[in-house]
Amino acid sequence: MVVLPVVVPDAFISMYLPAIYAGLIVGFIATMAIAMKREEIHILILTDLVGLAMIFVVSAVGTDLAEALILPGLVVELAETLAISEILITREMRIIEQNPRRNLPKSSSLFPQPFALNMEILNTAPNFIALLLIGYGIFLTGFTGGAVAGGGIVLYALSKKARGLPVLMLDGIAGISGISWCLWILGFLLFFVAPQYWLLSLFIAACGLLLKVASKVGLIGLLMREDIDRE
Amino acid sequence: MDFVTLGGNLLGVIPLGDIVLYLTPFNLFLFAVLLGFTLLIALSKPETQVEATMHYLYNTEVKVGPKELKQRRFLSIICGIASAGAMITGDLFNFTLFMALVGILNIGIVSAVKQTSVLNSAFNYGLIAMMCSLPLFGGAAIILAATGTLSLAVLSQMPASPMVVFGAVLMLIGILGESGVAPFFASKAEMFRTAGSPYIVIIHLSSLFIIVRAVEILLLVLW
Repeated sequence: MVVLPVVVPDAFISMYLPAIYAGLIVGFIATMAIAMKREEIHILILTDLVGLAMIFVVSAVGTDLAEALILPGLVVELAETLAISEILITREMRIIEQNPRRNLPKSSSLFPQPFALNMEILNTAPNFIALLLIGYGIFLTGFTGGAVAGGGIVLYALSKKARGLPVLMLDGIAGISGISWCLWILGFLLFFVAPQYWLLSLFIAACGLLLKVASKVGLIGLLMREDIDRE
Repeated sequence: MDFVTLGGNLLGVIPLGDIVLYLTPFNLFLFAVLLGFTLLIALSKPETQVEATMHYLYNTEVKVGPKELKQRRFLSIICGIASAGAMITGDLFNFTLFMALVGILNIGIVSAVKQTSVLNSAFNYGLIAMMCSLPLFGGAAIILAATGTLSLAVLSQMPASPMVVFGAVLMLIGILGESGVAPFFASKAEMFRTAGSPYIVIIHLSSLFIIVRAVEILLLVLW
């Protein structure tokens, strides 16, 4: 029934079943991990792993049609992650709205006793390092740059938090995430509409990816802090 | 099973390259009903809930604000169009994609409500939907690998091999999870308990229609 072109080597055909098994096993392990974990942010990240297993199974087909299926699958997966993280953000915002002091430190402080150090460096250095990291991330662009810039955002939030200042960056980060999504789509669209501007569209897509990863890493950092705070 | 025996007379086909869309009274009826309902949603105003308060003499009103109303109406119209697309599509993978889109939009419709319990259940439903995208897309990909096509018109003429049956079973699990029926209904039931009725009802209606269509598709593929 299945028509295989003669040019396909036997090695590739024999890879199909192992790839499917690998995908299903990865999915199974991920769901087991989800069943064991209790923190919501960990569950969200582990669910992404199940999506990765989905990509395994789809890409195991290995034809050009399957290639056309991977991209929508990936986009749907990302969109679902985005939607769920937006839900988490909205819920955290509602909870903070109901109890504004919840975000402030209760007992766990870096320094056990009152520690009033009024040093200039404590105000400027974290901001400067965060700016440096974000700038370097923008210079790198793409996925790595996003991770570096996200680290800068997390550092900024953590340093503000350690000094007992309220951190309310959640709405801004959600907005950046949406804008970067649009940038990414715009870059891809430009690739197909005007291929001669490939460098421009590459940069648009890379900047979109940078902003998206940065906002995601920042979001993970902020939510993780809340999870730690709860304990 | 031949799609003529399932959906009635073949009214026509829309040849779009590899995938040929077919029109039967069954698909057209589902399509028209969903589009009509989407139109109703676009024109109607949302309901307001009144919650009785214990021990006090006032009632609290759960209203939908104008900004939230616009967002919710937009998302429910898109949700209606996506489910209408799932009704008429002749491509197996397009059906799964429409289904995943409906799942995302269902989360989006309730994403801005004020009740924390609704947001909690939406979060849980989203997790289930994401986990079920593995069997959903995986099943479609396995059917593609076993038969070499995604066109339902071609698939209905083929005898089912064991690999196709395996793919169809995986797809069924995925459909159950994405639409939030039978074993997974607990998270989705809580999502309806908020104000703004016609927009909330599309969550229910889309999964209902998609299940009907999924039964047709599974019958086409398996018999």
